[in-house]
Amino acid sequence: MKKVRYVGILMICLALFATACSGGGSGGGTNGPAASGESSAPASASGSESGLPEVTLTWYYGVAQVSPDQQLIEDEVNKIIKPKLNATVKLKPIDFGSYTTKLNTASAAGEEFDLVWTANWAFNYDENVKKGAFLPLDDLIDEYAPETKKAIPDFTWDATKHQGQIYAVPNYQTVISRYGINVIKEYADKYGLDPASVKRYEDLEPFLELIKQNEPGIVPFMLVGPLTKFHPFFWGYDDYGVKLGDETYKVNFLEASPEYKQFVELMHSWFEKGYINEDASTVKQIDSSHNGTFAASIEYTMKPGYEAEIKAKNGGRDIIGIPLTDVTTTRTSNIATLTAISRTSKNPERAMMLIELVNTDRELFNLLSFGLEGKHYEKLSDNIVKTNPNGGYTASNWVFGNVFNGYLIEGQAEDTWEVTEEWNQSAVVQPTFGFNFDDTAVKAENANVAAIRAEYEPLLFTGTVDPAEYLPEYIDKLKKAGVEKVHAELQKQLDAWVAEKKQNG
Amino acid sequence: MNESALKGGRVSNAIFHLFFVLLSIGILAPFLLIVSVSLTDEKALAEFGYSFIPSRFSLVAYDFILQSPAALLRAYGNTIFITVIGTVLSLLLTSMVAYVVSRRDYRLRVPLTVYIFFTMLFSGGLVPFYILMTQYLHLKDSLWAIILPGMLSPFYVLIMKGFMGKIPHELIESTKVDGASERRIFFQMILPLSTPALATLGLFIAFNYWNEWFNALLFIDNDKLVPLQLLLVRIMNTLDFLRNNSEYIQSLGLDMSQLPNESMRMALVILVAGPMMFIFPFFQKYFVQGMTVGSLKG
Repeated sequence: MKKVRYVGILMICLALFATACSGGGSGGGTNGPAASGESSAPASASGSESGLPEVTLTWYYGVAQVSPDQQLIEDEVNKIIKPKLNATVKLKPIDFGSYTTKLNTASAAGEEFDLVWTANWAFNYDENVKKGAFLPLDDLIDEYAPETKKAIPDFTWDATKHQGQIYAVPNYQTVISRYGINVIKEYADKYGLDPASVKRYEDLEPFLELIKQNEPGIVPFMLVGPLTKFHPFFWGYDDYGVKLGDETYKVNFLEASPEYKQFVELMHSWFEKGYINEDASTVKQIDSSHNGTFAASIEYTMKPGYEAEIKAKNGGRDIIGIPLTDVTTTRTSNIATLTAISRTSKNPERAMMLIELVNTDRELFNLLSFGLEGKHYEKLSDNIVKTNPNGGYTASNWVFGNVFNGYLIEGQAEDTWEVTEEWNQSAVVQPTFGFNFDDTAVKAENANVAAIRAEYEPLLFTGTVDPAEYLPEYIDKLKKAGVEKVHAELQKQLDAWVAEKKQNG
Repeated sequence: MNESALKGGRVSNAIFHLFFVLLSIGILAPFLLIVSVSLTDEKALAEFGYSFIPSRFSLVAYDFILQSPAALLRAYGNTIFITVIGTVLSLLLTSMVAYVVSRRDYRLRVPLTVYIFFTMLFSGGLVPFYILMTQYLHLKDSLWAIILPGMLSPFYVLIMKGFMGKIPHELIESTKVDGASERRIFFQMILPLSTPALATLGLFIAFNYWNEWFNALLFIDNDKLVPLQLLLVRIMNTLDFLRNNSEYIQSLGLDMSQLPNESMRMALVILVAGPMMFIFPFFQKYFVQGMTVGSLKG
C-alpha cells in the first residue's frame, strides 16, 4: 500500500515537472548554454579531400512554403556533394513566419546544426552575433572558400563584420538601395506628368491635384504607415544621421533637423488636401496599397527591372519609377541574406566547404534554387527558366548563395545580372558603411526610443497629425526616453571606429 | 396590475432578446464574412474588398486546396490522433491527480495541492523546455512532443479537485468497508460520478489539442507530422511576415504570387475550424452542468 503511494507521488511529480516546464514562452531566453567558450576553433584541416571522414551536415534556411518534393531535392543534392566532400546534407527548410522563433529557440538551447541562414529581417544577424550563436569565419573563408571570397565585393564583406570579424557569408545579390516614387503610367500619360521633371516631392504636387479633381476613387498618393520612412539619404544624411561629406562624423538628431520638419509638414499639407489615403497610418499590409486604386506611392528599393515585378502585383498596370536618390549601398541592404555557421557545428570546416561548393557549382546552386529540369522548371534558353508553380518544389535562390551563378526567371531581362552587378559596383558607399552600432551600453534607452518611434512615425510620416503640435511632443518624448544618451554612445563608438579606420589607412 | 407586470416582463424580455440577437450577430458576422471571402473571386476581392455577399462567386480557392489534398488529409490525421490520444490520456491523468488531492484522508494532500498551484505561477521558460524535450526526452519530430506537454494542466486539476471534493467522503468509506480496492473505487465509482466534469474538461482539453501549433512549430520538422493548425499558422504567419517585411523582401525578389491568396487563406480557415464547430453542440448538455462546478446544486 505504502509503496503504491510513493510510486504515485513520484509519477505525479514527474508529470507536473513536464507541465511546469511547458509554460508560456517567457521572452525566449537569450542565454542558454551560449557563450560557453570558443567551441572548436577552426583547426587547420589535415589530410586531402579524399581522406576526409564522412559527416552529415544540417542546414537550416527559410522558404515561403515547404515543398512536397523536398526529400527528392535533398537526395539529388547529396548525389552531387557526396563524391566532392564526402558529406551528406540534411536540408531543413522552415517557413519564414516561423523561422525566427524556431531558430532562436534551437540556437539558445544549443541544438547541433551546421549551416544556418540569417538576415537583418529574420533570425536577426546582429543579435545572434552578439549572443555568440555563430562562429567567426575569417580563417575558414581564407582556407576553404577562396572563390566565394573573390566573387563578393569587399564592402559587402565589410558589412558582415562585427568587431573586425566576419560571422557569415553573404548570399550575394542586389545590395543597392534607391529611393523614389512610383507613378502609374496610365495616369502619368493622361495628365502629362514628365517623370524627368520630378526631382523632389513638391514637383509631384500639381499631378496629385489633377488626380484628386478628376479621378474619383483613386488615391493620389498612397502611403502605408509602418513602411513610410524619412529617408535620410535623400536629405543628405546617412543611416546614422551623419551629414554626407562631414569629416568630423557628427551624429545628428534627425527628428530635430529642419529637413525632417519640412518633410512631415509637406506630408501633413498633402493629407489635409486629401492626396493621401485616410487610413495611411494604420494600414499594415502592403497588398492593400497594390489593389490598383492609387496614382503614386513611395518605393524603397528600386533595383534594376523592379517595375516589371511590381506590375504583376498591381493588376497588370504599368509603373514608372522616378528615382529621387542616387544608387547607394547601405549596411542593411548588404546583410539582407547571409549564411552563417552555428557555434554548435561539429564540422565547421566541412560546412565552409559546402558554402564554397554552393557558391561555385552552378549545377548544385540551380538544383537547390529551382529543382529538377523538366519537373520543376523548363528551360526557355540557356540561361532563362520558367518555373512551374505546381511542380512540387519552390525555393528562393537568394537564401542559398551567390545568385549571379544561377538561372534567370522568365520575365527577367537577359542582362539582369550584368546590370545588377554594375549597379552594385558603382553604388555610392556611404561614409559610415561597415560601422555597426553596439547598443549593449544603452539597451533600455534604445528600446524606449524605438517604441516611441514606432508610435509616432506612422502618424507623422503619413501626415495624419499636425506636426505643429505633434512634432515638438515627439521630440520631447524622445529626449525623455534617452535619445541623447543613445546618440552620445553612438558618437563615442563612431569616433572610435573612425580613428581605427584612419589608423589602418 | 397584472397586465402591466406582464407588459414590463415583455419589454425587458424584448430587451434581452435584442441584446442576444445583437450578440449572436456579433459572433456570427465575422465568420460569415470569412465564408463569403473564401467564396469570392480573387480579382473581385482586390477590386471591391471584403463583403458579406460574394461580389463574384468562385470556388477556385477550395478547388486549389483540395486539388492536392494529401497534405491536408495527413494534417487532419495527425490532429485527430493528437486530439483523441491526448484527450483520453490527459483526462485520465488529470482525474487521477485530482482524485488523490481531493481525498480528505490523504496526508500529503495540502503540500501536493500547493505544489500543483506553484507550477501554475512559475514556469521553466521556453529554452529549458526546449532543451528538456529535445536533448533529454528526444522527442523532436514526434507527435508525442505535442501530446506530452499538454497532458496535465494544473488549472484543470484544481477544477477537477473542486468537483471531486463535493463527492461525499462517506461514500468512499462505506465502499471501502464493503471491501472495494482503491482502484475499484476510482474507476467504478468516482469516475462515473464525475462525468459532467470529465465531459467539460474533456472538451477544453480537446480544444487545446485541436488548436495546438506552438509546440508543433518548435519540435516538428518532418512535414509528414505537421498538424492542421500549424499548416494554417505557417501560411498565415508567413504571409503576414513577408508583407510586413516587404521593405527588405522587395530587394530580394521573392515572388509573392506563389503564395496562397486571400480567398485561399479563408477557405483554409474554414476547413480547419469546421469539425470542432460541429462537435461543440454535442457536448453542450454536459457543459452547463460541468461549468457550475463549485456553485450550489441540487
